Amino acid sequence: MMRYLILYKYFLRFSFSKAMEFRIDFFFRFLMDIIYYVVNILFFQVIYLHTPILAGWSQDQMILFIAGYLLCDGLNMTIFSNNIWWFPQLINRGDLDYYLIRPVSPLFFLSLREFAANSLMNLLVAVGFFIYALMQYQSPFTALDFIFYLFMLFCGVILQYCIQMLFVLPSFWIQNKRGLIDFFYAIALAGERPDRIYKGFVRVLFTFIIPLSLVASYPARFFIEPFNPWLLIHFFGIFIIFWVIMLTVWKKGVSSYSSASS
Amino acid sequence: MQGFSLEMMTLYYLLVPIGLRILAGQNIGFLSQEIYDGTFTRYLIYPVNVFVYKSITYLTHSFFYCIQFFFIYLIYHLFFSQGSMDPQSLFLGIGVFFIASISYMSISMIVELISLWADYIWALMVMLRFFVTFFGGGIIPMDFFPEWAQTLLSYTPFPYLISLPVKTTMKLISVSETINGLMILSIWSIFFFGIVHLMWRKGQKSYAGVGI
Repeated sequence: MMRYLILYKYFLRFSFSKAMEFRIDFFFRFLMDIIYYVVNILFFQVIYLHTPILAGWSQDQMILFIAGYLLCDGLNMTIFSNNIWWFPQLINRGDLDYYLIRPVSPLFFLSLREFAANSLMNLLVAVGFFIYALMQYQSPFTALDFIFYLFMLFCGVILQYCIQMLFVLPSFWIQNKRGLIDFFYAIALAGERPDRIYKGFVRVLFTFIIPLSLVASYPARFFIEPFNPWLLIHFFGIFIIFWVIMLTVWKKGVSSYSSASS
Repeated sequence: MQGFSLEMMTLYYLLVPIGLRILAGQNIGFLSQEIYDGTFTRYLIYPVNVFVYKSITYLTHSFFYCIQFFFIYLIYHLFFSQGSMDPQSLFLGIGVFFIASISYMSISMIVELISLWADYIWALMVMLRFFVTFFGGGIIPMDFFPEWAQTLLSYTPFPYLISLPVKTTMKLISVSETINGLMILSIWSIFFFGIVHLMWRKGQKSYAGVGI
């Protein structure tokens, strides 16, 4: 464990020095994420001009949900997203060999080696917005509620990582330079909306098959609404299933990896 | 809500993503990538103006997405819509989207040419897409925006890039409103191409042709 922490410290050092090499790009990316946050907040502000309740939530509850998913997005972008982006290209070029022969877990190395320093700045902004949303929140809550919300959001980030990985791991077989990541980006928006807006098959799709709604929407429901044990079972059931599926697909993928570039 | 039935809203959100593809034409980096690679130099010796060459390539992509737009609209009307199809609005809408893509290309060129001075402009292009999508009515129809915001945005090119062509296709606005919108868009395009021209005149002096 200690060995991995020390290794991660080196990843951080390397990522920061790399980010500082292109300072204008660093600033542009920071600005880009800020605009993304503003657009998301404005979207819900416009909706609430026409209705007092959306998906059973008032505006201050919705702001808390938005703050939650922006926090998830910030964590995902900072820790995982860049690494997942490069993943199919490494497979396609046959460069995965260099990672498979190292004396550390290749999945750990490939998932965490690049820390997005510019997104760290945005993560701080997301944290600030999260604190603001909590201060605006009108219902009473305890410290335990808050800690549990943060814990669930963290689990949501890991779940999102598993889902995203399942869209790039098929590269082992389809030899595509981007895997199915474009498909993931096309549907990722579903996780940025409260799960209650989905009905019928679409609801099943986003809460069981591609459970993007669980990432930020379910944690917000634990915080905002009375405790529902079934929701908790559903969340952790899906969480464990997706973690196991992701590890299984990874192992299968590595065993069928040809090491040839295409 | 705001004059939109469920069917209209469905069609709106079906047309927007394909419309965005018409606008975007080529992927991000259609100018900047070659500037960073240093391969942009070859256009300087081609017997055709680099911007004419790049524009034709860009608009060819847009044209193919126009065909895709046509078929998707056709399939929607044949299998999912209860209303009747208006071919005149459809062709007019596609035409407006194509003209809007010329305007979007001019804005993209400005951002792409920044690569002559800056390290990477990918994030700037993504920002541009965020702006155009949100303020153009791609995420939520502009009719839902407050009155003051709609008035303010009508002085910008954004509503004419997405909202105008989609509404023209769906026959939510009159032909005279469409023509009026196109005239405003044309003025913006001339202005943007002027900036492209100035940037290129300045920028080619600082282009080393080495790449990074």
